[in-house]
Amino acid sequence: MSTIRVPEADAAGWRCACCDCDLVLAPVELEYMGSHFSVELPACPQCGAVLVPEPLALGKMAEVEKLLEDK
Amino acid sequence: MCLARIPARLERRGADVFLTKTCPDHGAFESVVWRGEPGLDGWTRPKTPSWPDAPRTGAERGCPFDCGLCPEHGQHTCTALVEITWRCDLGCPVCFASSGRDAPPDLSMPQIAATLEAVRAASGPCNIQFSGGEPSLHPELETAVRTAASMGFGLVQLNTNGLRAAREPDFAPRLAEAGLGSVFLQFDGVTDAAFRALRGRDGLLEQKLLAVERFAAAGVGVVLVPTVVPGINDRQLGGLLRLAASLSPGVRGVHFQPVSYFGRHPGAMRPGGRGPEDAARITLPELMRGLEAQTGGLVRATDFLPPGCEHARCSFHANYLVREDGGLQRLSASRAGCGCSPEEKAAPGAPPLARLGADQAKAFVRRQWAAPEGAAADRQAATPPQTPAAPGAAPATRAPFARPDAAEAVRGDDLDRFLARARTHILSVSAMAFQDAWTLDLERLKGCCIHVALPDGRLVPFCAYNLTAADGAPLYRERP
Repeated sequence: MSTIRVPEADAAGWRCACCDCDLVLAPVELEYMGSHFSVELPACPQCGAVLVPEPLALGKMAEVEKLLEDK
Repeated sequence: MCLARIPARLERRGADVFLTKTCPDHGAFESVVWRGEPGLDGWTRPKTPSWPDAPRTGAERGCPFDCGLCPEHGQHTCTALVEITWRCDLGCPVCFASSGRDAPPDLSMPQIAATLEAVRAASGPCNIQFSGGEPSLHPELETAVRTAASMGFGLVQLNTNGLRAAREPDFAPRLAEAGLGSVFLQFDGVTDAAFRALRGRDGLLEQKLLAVERFAAAGVGVVLVPTVVPGINDRQLGGLLRLAASLSPGVRGVHFQPVSYFGRHPGAMRPGGRGPEDAARITLPELMRGLEAQTGGLVRATDFLPPGCEHARCSFHANYLVREDGGLQRLSASRAGCGCSPEEKAAPGAPPLARLGADQAKAFVRRQWAAPEGAAADRQAATPPQTPAAPGAAPATRAPFARPDAAEAVRGDDLDRFLARARTHILSVSAMAFQDAWTLDLERLKGCCIHVALPDGRLVPFCAYNLTAADGAPLYRERP
């Protein structure tokens, strides 16, 4: 599976408060109702905490979730 | 056989399950209800019953004799069927409604409106399906559709054989304009022989395909609905699925219905009114495995899930993305409760409330069985105007906030490409097993969400409404 790069994911200016280091873009596995997407997102290189930028969470991710909603 | 209520049990023999029961007057009966894998033991989706907010009838004689709904019914209405005519232009050898030419008068428009009002009062904004008989023969169908659409029902659907849409080019567009969202199109196979056997007429395949084309062009979502009969079309499951995928996005789903033995049905009956031979039945797991085997693994039997709305033993479903290369990518997965709804927090570990499943199913059907959002508008936009613009008129422009078109989306990232495809090309594959006098299981019936709306305001679960005894006597439906 190729990693998806999205313009909403921008690591610039974000730091991990716990590890006190800059976030860097890293491939992250998103899974929702059995469908998987590998997306490049800002993540802490030390503890692995991932930031899902708000425009992505409320935009494309929300739309994907809606399309995958089942009965 | 006589529709008396008697105790019954599910008996396992190897991987098969039989419903067995003994009538004090007519002796012992048994019918196969489940054959093979996925096994019945693992095929569960428990629900906490949701009682009717305003039961129309009392629980006096006991299930299934009090339908209306009675206070003991455990599921809300997902789809209400309104049968607006008994007439039919086919007269099929297989017909749960025993429809035909000698029929009582159609429902009048005031009767239809009153029925819809009663549904809305009892069940809120559920989905409506106009049925029959053949509802396209009703002279006021357009008005009926317009009325239902204006009353705020989620999806207005037509259960049709498609012949009128094939005969009259303006039929589908007129209904679309009136607010029709979807058609449940009787579609039994990929060869004319299947239609000849089940519908008693030649040349139907061509007419059905024309109907698909016209409804799709009008922006009405099409669901292909095959009745599956062993020995007639049970080898065409894969062909039907491939056809449905090839007709995506106009075709939104394929919904298999294993033959049930009520109304008018083919032979293969045991002597003495003891019901159909087991060889005349095809069960849900056989359909799941048949779909896998007949498509060379394009779909897998393990893809399919039990329903969150009706009883688990009544249906299965899975959704797929139809890829550009014609392949299918499974999208559905088990929906284990995430534990964050107020109900789940209040009673952790308890089965979810049935009405939550009904709400999800209503929303899903509304989205999936209708045409993709903007489909009709897109088609209209793609059609050049028929009349020249008036002199001095402003040039036609796209709306400032129009959805990005396919070409723009393809230029975006992979998530954009997935979204662009999934907005239009999701195909639902499902099946529903109806119950007849020999397979009726009151536990399943009490969880039913498909309700027939009668002009007197009662709502009757579909299988109870269509139930007929061995001699053809109906439990609820009036004889034509």
